[in-house]
Amino acid sequence: MLRDITLGQYYQADSVIHRLDPRVKLGTTVLFIISLFVFQGVWGYLAAGLFLVLVIRLSTVPFKFMVKGMRSIVFLLSITVIFNLFLTPGEPVVQLWKLTITREGIELAVLLAIRLSFLIIGSSVMTLTTTPNQLTDGLEKMLRPLNKIKVPVHEIAMMMSIALRFIPILMEETDKIMKAQLARCADFDSGNLIKKAKSLVPLLVPLFISAFRRANDLAMAMEARCYRGGDHRTKMKPLHYEKRDYIAYVVVVCYLVCGIAAGRLIG
Amino acid sequence: MGIIKVRDLIYEYIRRDEEGNVEGITTAVDDVSLDIRQGDFVAILGHNGSGKSTLAKHLNAILYPTEGTVWVDGKDTRDDAAVWDIRQTAGMVFQNPDNQIIGQVVEEDVGFGPENMGVPTREIWERVEESLKAVGMYQFRKFSPNKLSGGQKQRVSIAGVIAMHPKCIVLDEPTAMLDPKGRGEVIRAVRALNDVERITIILITHYMEEVIYADKVYVMDKGKVTLEGTPREVFSEVERLKELRLDVPQVTLLAHELRREGFPMPKGVLTNQEFVEALDRCISEAGG
Repeated sequence: MLRDITLGQYYQADSVIHRLDPRVKLGTTVLFIISLFVFQGVWGYLAAGLFLVLVIRLSTVPFKFMVKGMRSIVFLLSITVIFNLFLTPGEPVVQLWKLTITREGIELAVLLAIRLSFLIIGSSVMTLTTTPNQLTDGLEKMLRPLNKIKVPVHEIAMMMSIALRFIPILMEETDKIMKAQLARCADFDSGNLIKKAKSLVPLLVPLFISAFRRANDLAMAMEARCYRGGDHRTKMKPLHYEKRDYIAYVVVVCYLVCGIAAGRLIG
Repeated sequence: MGIIKVRDLIYEYIRRDEEGNVEGITTAVDDVSLDIRQGDFVAILGHNGSGKSTLAKHLNAILYPTEGTVWVDGKDTRDDAAVWDIRQTAGMVFQNPDNQIIGQVVEEDVGFGPENMGVPTREIWERVEESLKAVGMYQFRKFSPNKLSGGQKQRVSIAGVIAMHPKCIVLDEPTAMLDPKGRGEVIRAVRALNDVERITIILITHYMEEVIYADKVYVMDKGKVTLEGTPREVFSEVERLKELRLDVPQVTLLAHELRREGFPMPKGVLTNQEFVEALDRCISEAGG
């Protein structure tokens, strides 16, 4: 059933990581990604790897869910690895016809592969442990200072959460329209790319009309329930930093310091 | 003065062409006056295009009168300063449940209205709990609205309105998109609110079965109120309702046909129970 689709890839569990404030998780993810590019040498990677393993263990999300996210970037990953493998100049190790694999090439390719995998797994941990709702809430609160330079932060967050709410509804609607058109002998599958694109017109036009109608209805319903933008609004589920959130921040800072130190001193 | 008072309301939809010239004017509501008392259950009936939905949108200050005046709880809807008070006093439930649920979790949606009103967090939770209990949806509070049936979604929408503590709820064809089971659920919830909480209900519908419990019925046609009275009075006018292309409940119609054939059936029979009793009397009179 289309309606059962969960957006993002939230994995329901009750772990420390799940209970952390979304702002902590967002901030940590950003810091972690930066750290991957700042840390140097084997020890830096080891620090990042250890940190990731620790977080995954704490989150109680099975590892195979993390790997799922990897599948989508296998292609990208292999291209990067291949290019680095063959095109890095240096001391030759293997000679295959006209292509040379160098020692530096192997090193660089392996490090890049690790870096990219860590990046993907790291951000999966966040999306697996945070509902889309919490994410938009977290973003809204984190970006609030941007209000001062006239960025409509509340409005953007509201749009994001409305979009999330309506994606399954519009998907179901697409399915319905598609079936209705198929019943009247529409052909969505055959022909070349241009023909296929053209055959989508009878699908997209009704979908757009219905989306606009829904938007109009929703706007009226929101106004009828006294919605008037972000001012004077209270929150049913306000975000509060708890003790565990401060601890998490301390852990992240420790990780950063250790990683940088490890890279500089040992590596 | 009642909770809602409408005097000589006229509303015109103006169609314009691309240059903004007036192409035509449709008078959707034409000289309507209503008085609704606090605690009443009022039904507004009408065929498609009779202006009943346009009238409903005036009671929540979504549309403003072209001519005439609408007062909600003593406040003129054209007064800009009073708009938010009016929208809180007269909550509104719309036809399509999917297009009026904002939250991704039931409880969050119910909390949306109080959030907008600036109610403190703790009180929002209390209001959400009591509203969901009032419509019997409390056990679904953690559900995604996408996983509920139409009737359940519509009850969530009603809870979302109750959480704003309105004095009056306007329901604009809340059952039009539901199956019979969902219709029953919604109407039962609405009646309970009227009976228990004494919230004024204004139910707009074209299902006759839903209005037999109302205190007062208005029938609209072409923007005007053509019939008004208690359900019994209105349903006595079977021929008139047929002219307005409105269906009469089946028992009422059957009683009417029997009367025309010369049986001594009373006018305006509304429920199966009444019909059976009336028929019993007929038979015993005929026998005796």
